[in-house]
Amino acid sequence: MAENANTSITRTRSWFYTLRTIFLREFRSFLGTPFGWVILGCAIAMQGFWLQTALQIMTKATGESIMFYMLDNVNFWFFFIFIFPLITMRSLAEEESHGTMEGLLTAPVTTTQIVLGKYFASLLFYIILWLPMLLYPAMSDLGNLYTSIRYDVVPEGRIDYTPADWYGPLSILFISGVFFIALGILCSALTRSQIIAGIVCTCAIIIYYFMGRVPELWGEFPAAPAFHYMSISEQIGSFTRGLLDTRPVVLYVSLAVLMLAVTTRIVDYRRWHR
Amino acid sequence: MSMVTVEHLHKVFGRFTAVKDATFSIEKGEIVGFLGPNGAGKTTTMKMLTGYLPPTAGTASIAGHDIIDQPLEARRHLGYMPENVPLYEDMRVLQYLEYRARLKGICGKSVRQQVGWVVDRCGLEPKRKNLIRTLSKGYRQRVGLADALLGDPDLLILDEPTNGLDPNQIRQIRELIRSLAEDHTVILSTHILSEVEMICNKVIIIDQGQIKANDTPTNLTRGLRAAGRVSIEFKGDLDVVVKELEAYEPVKKVIVEEPLPGGWHHVIVRAEPGTDTREKAAAIIAAHQFPMRHIYRHIPSLEDVFVEMTRKD
Ligand SMILES: Nc1ncnc2c1ncn2[C@@H]1O[C@H](COP(=O)(O)OP(=O)(O)O)[C@@H](O)[C@H]1O
Ligand SMILES: [Mg+2]
Repeated sequence: MAENANTSITRTRSWFYTLRTIFLREFRSFLGTPFGWVILGCAIAMQGFWLQTALQIMTKATGESIMFYMLDNVNFWFFFIFIFPLITMRSLAEEESHGTMEGLLTAPVTTTQIVLGKYFASLLFYIILWLPMLLYPAMSDLGNLYTSIRYDVVPEGRIDYTPADWYGPLSILFISGVFFIALGILCSALTRSQIIAGIVCTCAIIIYYFMGRVPELWGEFPAAPAFHYMSISEQIGSFTRGLLDTRPVVLYVSLAVLMLAVTTRIVDYRRWHR
Repeated sequence: MSMVTVEHLHKVFGRFTAVKDATFSIEKGEIVGFLGPNGAGKTTTMKMLTGYLPPTAGTASIAGHDIIDQPLEARRHLGYMPENVPLYEDMRVLQYLEYRARLKGICGKSVRQQVGWVVDRCGLEPKRKNLIRTLSKGYRQRVGLADALLGDPDLLILDEPTNGLDPNQIRQIRELIRSLAEDHTVILSTHILSEVEMICNKVIIIDQGQIKANDTPTNLTRGLRAAGRVSIEFKGDLDVVVKELEAYEPVKKVIVEEPLPGGWHHVIVRAEPGTDTREKAAAIIAAHQFPMRHIYRHIPSLEDVFVEMTRKD
């Protein structure tokens, strides 16, 4: 049995070291369990489905980029609303219900580190979900290459894309994700039950989505600009048309900071008032 | 400087007071048994010490660091094994321990070294690649203990470390704790009294949230009501013997138990603590030439202390 007392232990008090430790465990928990792979599989299937839909539409309609047709349909919203609760509902709720929060909070770790570690892990996983979509242009080129070699004809149809088409939609998907992931983490701190966390998060996102569509129902009343400002459907619409805008960045980053600050308070509050 | 000082610690859940005004201190190197019936407030007190549950009133410090003002500093000095050992089910033992080591601020080569050391010490070698989900209760308990040992903390707080184990596993864990005792301060809660008797050099008894006793096992058992108790089995005239025994000065009371098969009487003599009534009792019975087959002076145990302190009357 080795003697421990005599060997010196290398220790660090780095704030980022602890954050990174929590982040890595959380991120690995997505890829180390079937859960994460099911979500990823679902994302790939949905993205393929949108592409198929977009190609169908583009046989009749033209004038917009392929990304516009992919994201401007009901299938997309169905995915977009449910993906955030799916990613985030486990994070803090599971920690609380399995009792592992106790282990975290009796180690030299702050609540902020826990919340941020979980947040960034979920955000990274969310970003990864969009990567398969980036492969479609390459896959289409590869297919055409194969056709030209195998059949010695240059195929006429190819997926029409330019890198510029991708910047807009991907940046708004990322920017809004910054906020929606934080919202999901907040919901997950509210309860010990993942299911309830998921339901609350879904409801919150649906409400947010429809708030943005209020002007469609009520017309352009005086407060309407505020609703336009927060309209995720309008933002995605304009970003996919290539109209990039910094206002959503300000909105979503500040909302995310607010959500995470509140989450930290909730996690502490749960212990102080029980 | 004391390793742990607890001052007027108080915990209220809603309208229920789980811990009332607990004050005690623990010196470096002590092995403290935290005893109490279920629901006494042992876990609550320990959770407050680790900084997980904030106290309603009062304060505590670990190695001189206040648990409320300097929580991270206080936690750096302690290794905690929670009751029922919550673990990440989807991680492997080594993976989990490496994560915990990093969480405790251990870095570089020391992570591997520390994990190797605790795996070795807790006998986790055969299971180190297993998923935690697949571990038996005994091994889960060892993972919890290994976790507490990471980083060689000065103070170990172990909440029912042998709960739910079979006798062999209990013995192994107990040996392990005993071997840790050499260079650590340990607080362990349990309701198994023999365990405390075997490994602890200090006992804190808590009941209904109140600290009832805080002393060494020897001091606690001294001066107990149970201390002078003698039990006798004999044949013959019960009334005569009882009368003569009661007439003897240090005897306070003679209790007649159910008669035993074969006509044997069984009496228990309660006397002043610290006295030995065996010689006189034997002489009384011998004077009548009654046969006697058993005379035994009770050695007071922690169980007696426990029963006496936590009795409801
Ligand atoms: N979170 C809580 N909310 C309300 N009551 C609690 C809570 N935790 C513990 N208690 C109560 O406090 C008392 C002491 O519990 P505990 O410290 O777990 O006892 P022990 O560990 O000695 O068995 C019990 O009566 C228990 O029901
Ligand atoms: Mg308990």
